[in-house]
This record gives sequence, structure tokens and C-alpha cells, in this order.
Amino acid sequence: MPTVTIDNQEFEFEGNPILLQFCLDHDIELPHFCYHPAMSAPANCRQCLVEIGTPEIDRGTGEPRLDEDGNPVIRFFPKMMTGCSEDISDGMVVKTHRSSELVREAQKDNLEFLLINHPLDCPICDQAGNCPLQIQAYKYGPEGSRFEFRKVSKPKHIELGPRVVLDAERCINCTRCTRFTTEISESHQLTIIERSVWNYPMTPPGVDFDEPYSMNVIDICPVGALTSKDFRFKARVWEMSSTPSITIGNAKGSNCFYWVKDNLVQKVTPRTNMEVNEYWLPDEDRLDYDVFNENRPEGPTIAGQSASWDDAKTAAADLLKNVDANGIVFLGSAFACVEDNYLLGELASALGAAAPSYIQHIEPGAGDGWLITDDKTPNASGCERLGIRPLDATLLRSRIQGGDVKLLYVLQDDPVAAGICEAADLAGVSVILHHTNTTNETLVAANVALPAATVVETVGTFVNQDGHAQRVWPSKAIRGVNRTLSMEIGKSRADKHGTPFDRWFDEDHLVDCQPGWVVIPEIADLLDIELRFKGPRDIMLKVSSENEAFGGATYDAMAEPGVRLVDVGAEV
Amino acid sequence: MTDFIKDPVILMPERHPEPVFSTEELVFTAEETRQIATWVSQYPTADGAIMKVLWMAQEKFGFLPPEVIRLSAGALGMPYARAFGVATFYTQYFKSKKGRYVLDVCTCFSCQICGGYDMLHYLEEKLGAHAGETTDDGLFTIQEVECLGACGSAPMLQITNGPYVMNLTEEKIDALIDALKRDQLPFFSSVTLPQDEDDLGGNRRTDVRDTLTYSAPPVAKTLG
Repeated sequence: MPTVTIDNQEFEFEGNPILLQFCLDHDIELPHFCYHPAMSAPANCRQCLVEIGTPEIDRGTGEPRLDEDGNPVIRFFPKMMTGCSEDISDGMVVKTHRSSELVREAQKDNLEFLLINHPLDCPICDQAGNCPLQIQAYKYGPEGSRFEFRKVSKPKHIELGPRVVLDAERCINCTRCTRFTTEISESHQLTIIERSVWNYPMTPPGVDFDEPYSMNVIDICPVGALTSKDFRFKARVWEMSSTPSITIGNAKGSNCFYWVKDNLVQKVTPRTNMEVNEYWLPDEDRLDYDVFNENRPEGPTIAGQSASWDDAKTAAADLLKNVDANGIVFLGSAFACVEDNYLLGELASALGAAAPSYIQHIEPGAGDGWLITDDKTPNASGCERLGIRPLDATLLRSRIQGGDVKLLYVLQDDPVAAGICEAADLAGVSVILHHTNTTNETLVAANVALPAATVVETVGTFVNQDGHAQRVWPSKAIRGVNRTLSMEIGKSRADKHGTPFDRWFDEDHLVDCQPGWVVIPEIADLLDIELRFKGPRDIMLKVSSENEAFGGATYDAMAEPGVRLVDVGAEV
Repeated sequence: MTDFIKDPVILMPERHPEPVFSTEELVFTAEETRQIATWVSQYPTADGAIMKVLWMAQEKFGFLPPEVIRLSAGALGMPYARAFGVATFYTQYFKSKKGRYVLDVCTCFSCQICGGYDMLHYLEEKLGAHAGETTDDGLFTIQEVECLGACGSAPMLQITNGPYVMNLTEEKIDALIDALKRDQLPFFSSVTLPQDEDDLGGNRRTDVRDTLTYSAPPVAKTLG
């Protein structure tokens, strides 16, 4: 197998790897700004310079020349080369900053150049603390600058589009943003304008940077030049905790981090998962986090009056007990996790009621074939795989109006807003509702309302439209104590910034809600139905062993990347 | 340039300027379109021809406001943003309206020590406009530019991205301005270096109308 020697250490390689990526993959940190694995390498930041040599080949024999000790003679390139634009070849010898003084000096000088016109406004910059330029200047940069003239002032706080703000002074012209619009989203809305010290990324006149993926340039910007209009000045990176999770705005289940401060979700950023969303996240997935923060219920209610959780569960059980099973309609939810839907199905079958169905939320034409889908729910595929079918809205409406339905049990959905029926139609129907927001229009008709945990507060499994099963971790705490959630919070806190300042256990903004997998078994218990699990982990163990559509989807197997489920196609 | 060093502030360009040309004006004629097709065939991809198309558009419209850049990009089926990046990169593409003649006076190193600034200031006083400005009659725009590669014949200026006027003197500028006012553009003149003249027996170029012999360059007033 061909080998490459990096800092006197020999590595084997296959294929045609790029030197910079190869180093990063082998935990050799090479500073860089312009290189991004998903895009072409323009090699214009010059930060990843390394010394590269290749074996000298004897032209006569075609064999490598050997020195007196029998080692191949290495001829180094006269100048340092950029690792991002260099393919590794057999016998190549590379010296990085770890073994070459020359490279260390080059990195230092290059950073001095990059910082010549870079403003020293880190204390007020949103990127501070999470900024490749800041980190690398600290690690590899010079101790000061020899530039003693006035820095060039460029336009600041320009709204490039409705969601992205540009600070041109901070830009180091790495062109990641323009390459994103050229190569990835292909909106062609950004370009580098002007020349030399005048240049920075800009939209051409008459164009707004308003494409549906515009906010990705904020994540790939290695400095604070491109910031989010929504998130600007809201929180510092070290004040927040970030939790790996998925977005629930559509059926793609794009992987993300939820950034939480004071128990409020502050922003959503993409998490790399090459099987689902690669490095990207659409803007709509980043900006719909208000549902986690605003209009959240304050505890359960019985007939509109606040009640304790015990009373509410008892009231729900009483309602279920006193109605003939034929008159009960269970509505599962494509917004809720697989675990909750599974428990609901089990409850329905134990009561002898019809299997649950779910309300579809499809906006034809909304999808783009990439990360935005027509289906606006995160778990329709999970429902299908559990055998929960789309609701026949017309049939249910006529049954409700005909008085056939005595009790409607709704898991995390809103039949009134979905147009299934009017709130007035439900006057004669007992309604048990798990709701996440007080804006739920069915709430007025609910006899028992049980606040449900959203994706940022629960543990659960969601299956995207391609059959990718992914689990989520709680990003923020809820009121009340749940051992499973506490444990999972501890596990999920990959605290990259390692400071104690995030307000994880602040009493403010704690929502008094409970996951479905807590509430449904307790109601079942009151009905003397055996539906006890140790937690969602056990539920998925059972589901994955019993239901081949979920084969292999245990919590351990899913971990962060998720599991691609077998395609059950026609069966569902 | 000097002002920029003292006060290095880059202002925000207008994001949504009013178009200068109407949609009826913004078309390439059939002949121009044929010319574009010829250029496109000379490059691996159509994008390659953008510089020539922009050049042609500048000659047609006088300068390149955004809508003309958009038209040029559209003619090649390339992204408007990319064409705009190209157009703003090169100073020879005029993004704003200029006078009929653009006088680029070189004040880069060689010309500077040979009196480039003397010539620039003389021209500024003569025309009553500063570098970067256009005279009130719309005839002349004066620009201060970096090296145009004619150091052997310093000081020099260039007329509207075209002919060079070399070995400048105040009298030469007077004559040039008079000629330009009569719309008489000087011809390109070839200058040789002294050693070549000795070896070759004078300037032997036959493809140009004017040939100049080498003369020792002057020294800037401030140095002399």
C-alpha cells in the first residue's frame, strides 16, 4: 500500500486523498480558512502551507535514487505548498508546523497579513469564542502586529438579505460564501467585488441574498463577517450549551445543534451527517425555534382550569374508562416521536379501540428535492412504519358531526387548525389533548389538556422520509424531575466550550410539560393496562425487535448518526 | 490613491441603483450577437468570453452600469454576480459615466521620479478638474493610475484605454488637449531603447505610423 510520511510518521493511504483532509482525518491539525470538504479548494488563504518533498526518480532507471544509507533521496519543492490543493502521492514527505520552523514562520507571517486590516472588535463580535481566525491566531499567530497605519474601513452591518448581515471589515476573502452560492446552492447571489484591499463579498446591484439556504454561509464563514440577523448580539457562544438533535420543520430530519441559554433555544445550527443533510441546513429549519420558547403551556388543565398532573391523568383515565371503545378515536402524530406513537397504539389496542391514524401536513410544491420537503412533519415515516395510517379527514368529520365519536384522544396535533372540524363540533365529544403550544386551536375544546414535551425537551426517535431513524437528546430542562431526561441531559452535553456559565438549571423558562412516554403509561396504569417500560430506550428495544420496519433501530445503534432502516416500501 | 492612504475608508456601493438605460436600449444587435458567438467558440466554456463581451458593451454604451453587466452575462448564460465580480475587478471597465476622453496619467514609481505628478498637476490645472473628476463640458476625465508599462518613456498618459502619449511635456499636453478637442486621437507610437537603436540602426518597426527615438527622461521638479 502506498505510504506518505508526515512529520517523520508514516501513514498508509488509499486512493487520491487531499493532503489537508488527510491530515485532519488523522488528527493532525493544519490551520486553514478557505478549505471546506464540500467545495473546491481555491488555496487563497495560504494558511495551510507545508513543506512537501517527493522521492527523486533516476531518469535512466525509473527507480528512486537512494542515498548512502539506502533511503530514497527526497527533493523538496523550492517553495512551501498549500495542503488543500495538493494530492498525496506515494513516498511523499510532508513537514508541517510540528516539525518545520519554516512552516511555523509562514503560518505566523500569513496570519499577520490576514490580521492587518481585520478589526480588533472580538469583544463585540458574534463569532468570538467560536472563530477559526481567533483560535488560529491564538495558536499559530504572531504575538503582535508590525502594521502601524490606519486600518482600512469597510462597510459594516449591511443586510445582504433578509437573514444575513455582512461586516465587510472582518472578511478575509476566503470565498467560502461565494463558493457556497456557486457550487452548493447554485443561487449565484454572491460574488467578491472590487480588487485588492477594496474587495469583499457582496450581491451584485439589484439582487438580495434571499435564497432559502442563505444562512449556511454564516456557519462556514471562518470569521465574523457574515452573521445571522436573527441571532445577532443575542448570546455569546460560551453562554450556551449545544445539544445534537434534529430539526422538525420537515420530513428530512436534518441534523442540527440546538443552542440553549436560560432554557430558551437561541439558535439552530447544522450538524454534519453525510447520510442526511451533509453540512447544510435550510433557513426555515433554523428560524422555527420560537415554538420551543413561546406560547408554551403552564401545566395541565381540566376543562380549561389548571390542575395537577395526577388529577389530569386521573381525569383522562376516567374519560377513557367511561366510553365505549367504538366511540374512541385515537389520533397519533407525525410531530411526536416513535415511542409516543407506539404507546398510543398499544393503549388503543388494549382498550379495544380502532388503531390510531395521523393527520398529514403536506404542502404540495413546498419541497425542493434537497433539504426542504413537501411534508412539514418530522415523523410521518415513523408513524407509517408503526402501522399508523393517514387520517381520512372527511370520514372523521362526518363521524364527529353524526355523533359517532364520543372521545377524541389527540397526540401532539391540532385537528381544528388542520381543518378536520370546528371547535364547536367537538362540544359533544370528550377531548384529551397532548399539546405543545397554547396556540393549539383544539385546546378550547379539550376536556383534559396534557402539555407535551417538544423535540428539545424529550428523548425519542424520529424517522425521516428516506427511512433514516434518528434519536434526539433533551436540549433544555422541563419543570419537574424525570430520571431518564436528567441522565440523557448529562450525556448529551458535549460542552465544547467548557464553561459553567450556561443557565441549564435556571428556574426561569422551565416548561411544565411531560413526554408522551411518561404520561401514556401512567394513564394506562390507571386503567389497569400493562404498559410499563423503563424508558424510551426500552421502548425502542421492543419496537426494533418486534417490528422489522424498525430493525436495528436501538438507541445504541442509532447514537448520533442514526440508522438507515430497511425499505419496507409496499408494506407500509 | 493618496487620499485613500490618509483616509482608508471604503464606502458602501448603492445596492439598488436606478437603471441608466431603458430595456429598449439594452439589446445587442444581430451583428454583436454573432460576434459574441465567435468569441464563445474560442473558449472552452462560454464564461471565458465575458471580458470581451464587457469590453464590447463598454464601447457600445460608454460605461458599464449594472444593467449592462447583466445584459452581458445574459448573453453568455453565465451568472450575473460572477460577471459583476469580473467587471468590478478591472479598473479599465468603467462602472460610472466618464468624459469622452479618459486621461490616465501614470504616477507610479518611474513616472513619478520623471515628473508624473508635475504632468498630472499641470493637466488638472489646465482642465480645471481633479484626478477622478470629469470636466464640466463632459469632454475629459482625469485619472491617476498605476504603472502602464512604459517606464522607458516616462512620464506618460493613456487615452481611454487606448493610445499612449509618452515623453510628456507641458507643450505636448497642450497640443494633445487641442487635438482631442478637435476629436483627433493621437496614433500609437513605438519607442525603442538606445541600445536597440544602436544595434538595429534605429526603430525599424513598419507596422506603426509613428516612431519615436529614445530621449533621456526628465527629472521631477521636486527632485531637480
